[in-house]
Amino acid sequence: MSFFNNYIYGSNDYLGRLYLVVLSLITFGLITLYSISNDPLSINSSFMRQIIFIIFSLFVFLILNQINVKTIHDNSTLIYICSFLLCFVPFFLAPVENTYRWIDLGFFYIQPGEYLKCTTIILIAKYLSNHQLEVKEGYIVFIPILITLLSSFLVLNQPDLGTAAIIFAPLLPMMLWAGVSGFTLFLLIAPVITIIAASNNLIFNIWGILMFIIFMAFQGSFLKNVLIYFANIFTGLLFPFFWNDFLNGYQRQRFIDFINPDLDPMGSSYHIIQSITAIGSGGLFGKGWGQGSQTQLKFLPVQESDFILSVIAEEFGFFGILIIMFLFFMLIKTLIDIAFKSSDYFSSLVIIGLTSILFSHILVNSAMTIGLMPVKGLPTPFVSAGGSFMLLCFIILSLVSNLSKN
Amino acid sequence: MLKIENKADIFHYRTLLFILIFSILTLLSRYFYLQVIEHERYSSKSQVNSIRAQATYAPRGLILDRNGVVLVENYPTYILTVTPYELENKETQFQIISDITEISIDELSRRYKKYYQGQFLPTIIAKNLTFAEISQIEERRLELSGFQYKRFDERLYNDILKDAHFLGYLRELDRESLSSLDKSQFYRAGELIGWQGLEKQYESQLRYSKGTEYIEVDTFGREINTINDNNIPAYPGKNLVLSIDSKLQQFSKNLLTDQRGVILVSNVNTGDILSMVSNPSYNLDIYRGETTGSDWNDLLSDEGKPIINRNIAGLYPPGSSFKIITAFNLIEDGLLDPEDSLMCTGSYIPPGSSNTFNCWKEDGHGLVNLNKAIAQSCNVYFYETVQLIKLSDWIKTAKIFGFEKKTDIDLPNELIGQIPDKEFFINTYGRWGWSERGVLLNLTLGQGDILVTPLQSLRYINHIASKGRTAKLKLNAHKKVEYYDDIILSEQTWDRVINGLYDVVNAESGSGWRAKQSEVKLYGKTSTAENPHGEPHAWFNGFFDFEGQTYSLVVLVENGGGGGAVASPIAGEIVKFFTNEQVEMVNK
Repeated sequence: MSFFNNYIYGSNDYLGRLYLVVLSLITFGLITLYSISNDPLSINSSFMRQIIFIIFSLFVFLILNQINVKTIHDNSTLIYICSFLLCFVPFFLAPVENTYRWIDLGFFYIQPGEYLKCTTIILIAKYLSNHQLEVKEGYIVFIPILITLLSSFLVLNQPDLGTAAIIFAPLLPMMLWAGVSGFTLFLLIAPVITIIAASNNLIFNIWGILMFIIFMAFQGSFLKNVLIYFANIFTGLLFPFFWNDFLNGYQRQRFIDFINPDLDPMGSSYHIIQSITAIGSGGLFGKGWGQGSQTQLKFLPVQESDFILSVIAEEFGFFGILIIMFLFFMLIKTLIDIAFKSSDYFSSLVIIGLTSILFSHILVNSAMTIGLMPVKGLPTPFVSAGGSFMLLCFIILSLVSNLSKN
Repeated sequence: MLKIENKADIFHYRTLLFILIFSILTLLSRYFYLQVIEHERYSSKSQVNSIRAQATYAPRGLILDRNGVVLVENYPTYILTVTPYELENKETQFQIISDITEISIDELSRRYKKYYQGQFLPTIIAKNLTFAEISQIEERRLELSGFQYKRFDERLYNDILKDAHFLGYLRELDRESLSSLDKSQFYRAGELIGWQGLEKQYESQLRYSKGTEYIEVDTFGREINTINDNNIPAYPGKNLVLSIDSKLQQFSKNLLTDQRGVILVSNVNTGDILSMVSNPSYNLDIYRGETTGSDWNDLLSDEGKPIINRNIAGLYPPGSSFKIITAFNLIEDGLLDPEDSLMCTGSYIPPGSSNTFNCWKEDGHGLVNLNKAIAQSCNVYFYETVQLIKLSDWIKTAKIFGFEKKTDIDLPNELIGQIPDKEFFINTYGRWGWSERGVLLNLTLGQGDILVTPLQSLRYINHIASKGRTAKLKLNAHKKVEYYDDIILSEQTWDRVINGLYDVVNAESGSGWRAKQSEVKLYGKTSTAENPHGEPHAWFNGFFDFEGQTYSLVVLVENGGGGGAVASPIAGEIVKFFTNEQVEMVNK
């Protein structure tokens, strides 16, 4: 049992374990990128570019590692405002691919929205840690939600639906970690489920009854519960209007693709179908390094970033997926361990928030390649090619390393 | 350090860990389902039935002259591609292709290697297939795997202008050049791209926008099904209308017969180039189809250098037309009264020197004022007067007429001439190896270290014709008219010089009298430029007003002899083209 406990709650050297896992993921990513690069040793290949990004990110990591946690804690509002303003910069620059997401630094693009994710977490963590005694009260959730909405709304206008959605990911885990009551969290999730349920009458009715029972089971003001209940029902009823008038054509298309990928085999679902074919044809041990006929340039346009897991699945098979999933599991578990062992409340909350970001990327990206989620354009941490996100991952790493030193 | 302790609950820790394990297991089970349980299905799907996105093409834009005559159009041919991944028994299959197309296996292998761009992308291995060859390939379809043929447009040049350098040509892209190209255009190895001349300059306008077509193919690369939804159509490139008048171009080309040289005609008001001849030339058809290596070597080693567009890339001493630079300095700075006369005895000995500098007219011009000096191109007058000018001033004047810059014409690879300055002389001859007075004697005759391109010379005459404000030279008729930097000189200066240029052609014993036309007032300057390659180059730079527009022309005959005797008559003929019945000229 002691061995088990030691394993679950970890040894003392969590950071060492974390770096080992990250190193393994990066290596795995590079091996895969080498396989899909036409001319891997040319300076323009995704392989070589990735190496350059990693070296650059490593420098940033080493520099940020010098910053004290207290500095981050005390200046969290300022840091948030800076990153918030940074998101406005692309609007003054020429649009890249018709969006205002990127700032061109010459050798690569940075995406200010990515960094806003982190600073939002830091600000929420500071708020929650300053109001620790009130966490059992329902109203504690309003400020974090407000901050999240503000960040998300800005990113949504860039427009970047994927990042805007990811900004919400840390909200629930952080509140759970902070000790917000289960019923409050349920109230938060309920409208989301209501909206999803609204697409089908039967499901909507079942959900309505289920929700009613839960509301009745919890103690509290009857009037308040009834109000919240009907607010939920109305959200569900109003959703179709929101759907038709508020979302762009391509955003709607992504949801439709998600709900039924076979509906439109040649449109954007083309990617999902090709990805699944690539994964499925990989089998138990894969077709071999550089031998993936589906992924080698032919079908997937963003295989070096969005669909890199499909390449791994095709070339290294289920065996390769087992390894990469184990590494992902170890990455997230080690991070939760670090948060759990962290000596102060603020640090612990920030680490949980950052972990949620990484985990949601892993989850959404993997789920996308196997057709469980719409095509989102979210890269996988430490594995996908791409400078901006690699840099973000290393920034997260340096924050974690800083915070855990306490 | 921070005051509030972490109170993370073991229950919360377990909740998150549970969510993590649950999510990872859900993902893994789905991967397991796809990769292990459903493996057979997807494996066969990946081999047998692939949906392939295939590029579709549209015609490249045409190139027309100012009157709508088509100069460059498209010519449909068939090309054969092979997808490496689907290619089995390479040797046997190449043998079959070789039998049908009569291209050697070595050549097929060479192209296969050269244009290879990935295991799954079609590689072009044969071009210009005839319909009969296509039919044979179709007959032996079952023996061949991975081969596809498709239509491929090449450029077809109009016979009347198929040797015009400025049109340029297309070239097949190879892998090495791909990385430097605009990614948004989706270039692929083996496609044609504008590589020289206007084809290069206006590549983005002329190039079609590529489309995408989705097809289902089997293991042999055979199309099973075309899926029409979601195809992105290809759009043709836009046509390019040139300022060139192909009749005039052809006419001026014939004037040069077999002499090496250049004829340029432009509209001074708009900068439009009407004719741009560079002789000798070569047939642009050489870029079509399979030109053999020896044809190429013949072309490249030809001592007439037919491959060079002399208009933009030929460097020549300008000769006496540069006497005008001296004249501008003299009048504008008030260094002498243009009416004052000097005595030309046929030779000049600079003060303190024992060297004699001769006038081209051995027994001298007698008394010459500025007007007569320009008209008769008197060397002695300019030998003496250039001594009044500082070297730096003279060079500055040459430079404001654009001789140290490109003309910015819409053609790639334009060269810049050379205007030597003090620094140049020091570097070349050492600090004490030259004197300011000495080099000016050479410079004022447009000799020595001065080199210009004919196009720069055209810009120069356009500046004079328009009294300092002239439009940028261009070949695209629809390109917006832009202007070079204005040259600001006094009205009197311009008039003096222009009167001189008038007398060159029209006065008694003017050096360019052979260009004189009765109906049109032609202004000009002859030059006879000494050079180390034999006979002097014969130049005529001039302009004339016709039907409310000002036109300019530059004639250069390499090693042709005297500018007056050789270049002036050609200039006269070009003016005649404007005044005579133009149709008649073409029919000649």
